[in-house]
Amino acid sequence: MDLSINIGGMAGQGIDTIGDLLTKVFVKTGFYIFTVKDFESRIRGGYNFTQIRVADNPVHCSVDDIDLIVALSKDAISAKRDQLVEGGIIIFDDRFDFDALEECHYPAPLSKKAREVGGSTRMTNAAALGALLSVIRFPFSLAEQVLTEIFGKKGEKIVEANVRVARSLYDLTEETFSGSCRHNLSMIDSIPSENRLIINGNQAIAYGAMAANVKWVSSYPMSPSTSAFIEIVSHANDLKIGTLQTEDELASLAMAIGASYGGVRSMVTTSGGGFSLMVEALGLAGMTETPVVIYNAQRPGPSTGLPTRTEQSDLLFTIFASQGEFPRIVLAPRDPLDAFDVVTRSFNLAERFQVPVIILGDQYLADSVMNVPRIDVTNVEIDRGKLAADRLDDPYMRYRLTDDGISPRAFPGDRGRFIVSSGNSHLEDGHITEDPAIRNAMVQKFLRKITAIKDALKPPDLYGAKTTKTVVVTWGSPWGAVREAIEHLEHEGVSIGHLHFTDIYPLRTKLLKDVFTSAERVISIEHNATSQFAKLVTMETGLKFDGYITKFDGRPMTPRWVILQLKEVGI
Amino acid sequence: MITVEALEGPQKITWCTGCGNYGILAALKKAIVELDISHEDYVLVSGIGCSGKIPHYINLNSFHTLHGRPIPVATGLHMANKDLHVLVHTGDGDCLGEGMGHFIHAARRNVDLAVFIHNNGVNALTKGQFSPAAPRGYISKTSPPPPGSPMEPVNGVAHAIVAGATFVARGYSGDQKMLVELMKAAITHRGFAVVDILQPCVTWNRKLTWRYFNERTYSLEEAGHDPTDRGLALQKAFEYNGKIPIGIFYRTEAPLLIDGLSLPDVPLKDHVTDRSRLQALIDDQIL
Ligand SMILES: Cc1ncc(C[n+]2csc(CCOP(=O)(O)OP(=O)(O)O)c2C)c(N)n1
Ligand code: SF4
Repeated sequence: MDLSINIGGMAGQGIDTIGDLLTKVFVKTGFYIFTVKDFESRIRGGYNFTQIRVADNPVHCSVDDIDLIVALSKDAISAKRDQLVEGGIIIFDDRFDFDALEECHYPAPLSKKAREVGGSTRMTNAAALGALLSVIRFPFSLAEQVLTEIFGKKGEKIVEANVRVARSLYDLTEETFSGSCRHNLSMIDSIPSENRLIINGNQAIAYGAMAANVKWVSSYPMSPSTSAFIEIVSHANDLKIGTLQTEDELASLAMAIGASYGGVRSMVTTSGGGFSLMVEALGLAGMTETPVVIYNAQRPGPSTGLPTRTEQSDLLFTIFASQGEFPRIVLAPRDPLDAFDVVTRSFNLAERFQVPVIILGDQYLADSVMNVPRIDVTNVEIDRGKLAADRLDDPYMRYRLTDDGISPRAFPGDRGRFIVSSGNSHLEDGHITEDPAIRNAMVQKFLRKITAIKDALKPPDLYGAKTTKTVVVTWGSPWGAVREAIEHLEHEGVSIGHLHFTDIYPLRTKLLKDVFTSAERVISIEHNATSQFAKLVTMETGLKFDGYITKFDGRPMTPRWVILQLKEVGI
Repeated sequence: MITVEALEGPQKITWCTGCGNYGILAALKKAIVELDISHEDYVLVSGIGCSGKIPHYINLNSFHTLHGRPIPVATGLHMANKDLHVLVHTGDGDCLGEGMGHFIHAARRNVDLAVFIHNNGVNALTKGQFSPAAPRGYISKTSPPPPGSPMEPVNGVAHAIVAGATFVARGYSGDQKMLVELMKAAITHRGFAVVDILQPCVTWNRKLTWRYFNERTYSLEEAGHDPTDRGLALQKAFEYNGKIPIGIFYRTEAPLLIDGLSLPDVPLKDHVTDRSRLQALIDDQIL
């Protein structure tokens, strides 16, 4: 079973609510889901949708084909109708006149019943939920249970009214809507999945940071990063985490740097435009060797770009941002579950190497929802790196020249020593200098870290053999769509492999070189217009790709799109 | 107890002979010697400029940051460890130009910092360009000729009072006795404390000289100023031309930023998130 449901309407019509409800209903009954949201940068009106993919096997991306449309506005019918599969169902409010009705088009009295039964057209979404559950043959008892749980917080009256409205449409649909197009979900008894934790990428980022003992988060709101910050703020009181919405992004990162110098794990959350403003402070973290984690949920640029949509176009900017040269680490999670792992590692890497770590997420990762196994935070490993021994290393020098380039850290307030840090070129003791020999020694000290960083990073994942005819190279969130596309192609007998990077920079080149020598064709797929990762690979290795697949319309990739593109470049 | 000698900085001072910064450094050392605070609990955070070099001339914890950014860095540090006394040393270019937004917001947050503005009316380290605090008509290579700086100076004292700073004073490098007292009061004040320090730059500023200040400054305290009256403080802040008041303009109590955040009782630095609590929060969401 692999069913995709598209719920569309105007902002303000409760699209999100039914999306969330349905997602919960399916997960609760044991399915795997992957939900994406597509919305405009406006508060009311327009056309928005939530797309839920329900399957009895894990799914990691959204798809083009839609089995079932729920339309709460007229646009919602026309916008998605072309993607409806043969025999697919459209449920829509019978207020809209819709010509050319076919067997599986179902005009339902959604708003009418909401008013009659529930007392308010605001319950139209509950009505739609009832109709939909009936159409897919989902036992109402299960739905009722979930509805009660979810609306429970709003009080008994509201729960009851919503359940009544949903029930009325459920029953009515059972009686009036017939056709061969019903999707049978009677296998729900089998409970295929026990993954009952529903998270999106930003929540995973937040949980990961909290599990890693983040103690200070300063941020300035910017889509699509904001919900990660909100998630942490919402637990700040419970878990005693310092959080502050600052006057701008520069202040956010400067504060995080100050906090880290003071001895706490600190982080900022932002999106590309905000990261641009942070760049000055990024250099300060570099020069002062202050660990800090920067989460950049990318969106299409330049400038304000497409505020609510997705792209992976900040990669080269991230790698080169700041005047001067210093090591930094760039990581890009492939999906919400991976995001948790990436964030917990990012804090360890930042402290082990005393460098800024930038996590490159994107809107697609940030907002897509999946169900994952219970996340266990209790054994997340915490490595604070090289700390100065309690006994007084005499005299303490913050920037002691060491073989591995890493100087032991100490924190102000320690007895018997002073911690001197400077964004200017400095001596081992932290005080400024313009001495050329020291300058050289300090820069070499920085750069010595890079080899060790590469060893500490995770090598890319290779799916299939390096000797397949074609190898596709990806990084970050397109992983899901590309993976599914390639599995499909493999089934068709295509000789194709897939090399995927999560730990991006400094770039590990060994597997890349292997792949380039053994495969006939190497193709990059990225969510940007200029194949930035491919450029990075070429820059670091001299190797040139045989094909570049790019997407920069702000919309996520789907497996079918990937397959089409691959066929176009020739596989 | 710490001595002035023990505070002696590790580096040779590179300020010009006769610079007002010497008086600020001397007053700072005296204030620290006189206060009963362990010297390991101080941190000096500075920006960029002649003023920004002060951490290298005194033996304390320090963080020499970016131009205009010492206040947010200091804020983060203070959050991490509220037991520390965090002092910001900044120039008028640093604080009232590049860093103006941070200054205003830190004041309204009432972050528990002591901010010392080395106010010389010029961007000294970049060779004397007019700074935000330069008087109208100040002539430098970057002020449009012929009239010099074509705008009013930023009034740091007034801005601080309006923004919500809870301790606002003006000191003068040439009045050591008062400056030491102002610094001690600012350091021990619970909240955002600003001391705008008149600091002659003998190399660039031909107008705001030692003589200029010696002739004009007078003590607010001796004049019977009541520092609890905000309106009066603001009025005094605008008195600058003929006579220049120095001393405490305004002092009050208000909730601190840390009081409004969910911080633990121990310094944040020593707190570890209870992961079983986090696990419970996550488990709660499992359907
Ligand atoms: C981002 C940035 N812009 C400009 C500079 C150059 N710069 C160095 S010091 C300075 C002015 C300092 O003036 P002020 O804060 O008044 O300190 P003073 O030197 O007068 O003590 C400037 C503009 C810099 N270092 N960084
Ligand atoms: S240039 Fe001016 S402020 Fe800088 S050290 Fe010389 S006198 Fe002092």
